[in-house]
Amino acid sequence: MPPAPNSDTVIEEACLIARMGVGDREAFRELYSRYSAPLFSLAVRMVGDFGQAEELVQDTFVKIWRNASTFDPRKSRPFTWSVTITRRTCIDHLRKRKHQPATTPLVPEEALAQGLATGETIRRSAESREDIERLKGALSEVPRNPRRALELVLFTELTQSEIAERLEQPAGTVKSWIRRGLIDLRKALTEGPP
Amino acid sequence: MNAQTEELACLYVLDQLSPGERAAFEARLDNDAPLAALVLELESILEERVRELPQHEAPRELLARVEARIGRRADPGPERAVPAPWAAIARWGIAAVIAVAVSIIAVQNLRRPAPPADRSLLIVGLEPHQSTLAELPITGQPQSADARFVQLASLAEQYWERPEDLPVKMAPADHGGRGYALFDPGSNQGFIAIRHLPTAEDGKRYHLWVLDTSTGQIREAGVLPASDQARGLYFFSVAPDAAANPGRLGFFVTAEDSTAKATDKPRGKVVLGDRAF
Repeated sequence: MPPAPNSDTVIEEACLIARMGVGDREAFRELYSRYSAPLFSLAVRMVGDFGQAEELVQDTFVKIWRNASTFDPRKSRPFTWSVTITRRTCIDHLRKRKHQPATTPLVPEEALAQGLATGETIRRSAESREDIERLKGALSEVPRNPRRALELVLFTELTQSEIAERLEQPAGTVKSWIRRGLIDLRKALTEGPP
Repeated sequence: MNAQTEELACLYVLDQLSPGERAAFEARLDNDAPLAALVLELESILEERVRELPQHEAPRELLARVEARIGRRADPGPERAVPAPWAAIARWGIAAVIAVAVSIIAVQNLRRPAPPADRSLLIVGLEPHQSTLAELPITGQPQSADARFVQLASLAEQYWERPEDLPVKMAPADHGGRGYALFDPGSNQGFIAIRHLPTAEDGKRYHLWVLDTSTGQIREAGVLPASDQARGLYFFSVAPDAAANPGRLGFFVTAEDSTAKATDKPRGKVVLGDRAF
């Protein structure tokens, strides 16, 4: 896993996108080298299929290139902006194909993680393993329902009302869980383990 | 901050707002620094969650496939120049606001080490038979590609909006002063400011060239976007040339057949600047 970006990285990536906005291919290649693995991994997580993820990430990077000139660093971090484009691309695909939700991926995530299904290289440094453990610890601090609501919003194509239906809760409750999921995760990451 | 605002911020970060709600929320962000800070913090949490997923390298050939798609002429994305002058100008707002974003993200990171290397930017006028040239010495500036780009773009925008700030006197557009190039020989990037250029004839398109007058070597700097506008500010880049003499560079534009394949040297009529100097 790439290390979490610091502010320098955020500035650099905002500059890369600004350069892409005027047609700088070098900047595009640099951004691609930074984002392709996490965005591809996100697509794999959402659609549960390497081949489809590949097509969707291809579409995603074309959209990133085309929309670079509209990126506004006051409104979003560069990676979040790219994640949003990826998620929208995957969600459109899933809704069109009425794909099986990613909560039950076609290939079990554990198998994907170990590269058993595809032989893909998994990059995990000692530092990133620490990050993962830290985040897993933080996730465990988030109550089950808010965590589940957050994961469904993040990694599936389900709308809030569909999530409400699936969790058999009113839409307002789900909205509140989503907020709590993210805020609790933020608290857990900021304050560390109790 | 109340729970409702916090909920809106979460839903915004998770892309769960309708377009109308999103626009209204973004308008609030412009004037609410604590809210903007919360959004950035929530985004960093979201990013961490995404980066925590089991990581898979994208297939090696994927980049080439993406580049093939964005390189197709039918693709409406930016090529080596921008499609419309107003868009070019608007984009430099991005460069300018990066500083604003930085102040929200972390002010201390503005203090980047700045190598004390000297460098110059060139301004070259495009009057036929009367090219003007000025060097703008830039000292002690950050030398990263991004820093150079932002600096170049900011200057290009400044000179475009306030031509009176140009360090060389340009003739009025209707008296031969039809444009100029601002070029960074260090990064081989620049902007061409066109103040007057007729619409290309059918079947023609305008190519920008860089000429080293000391060696006669010519480098292609891109195709100007098809436009019915007579003026505009356009970004360009050229391949590095270690032997180029930065003090002897000239720029000119030719009208080439649009059906011709990749052009490695100018064949068409010069429509701006002077090929001979």
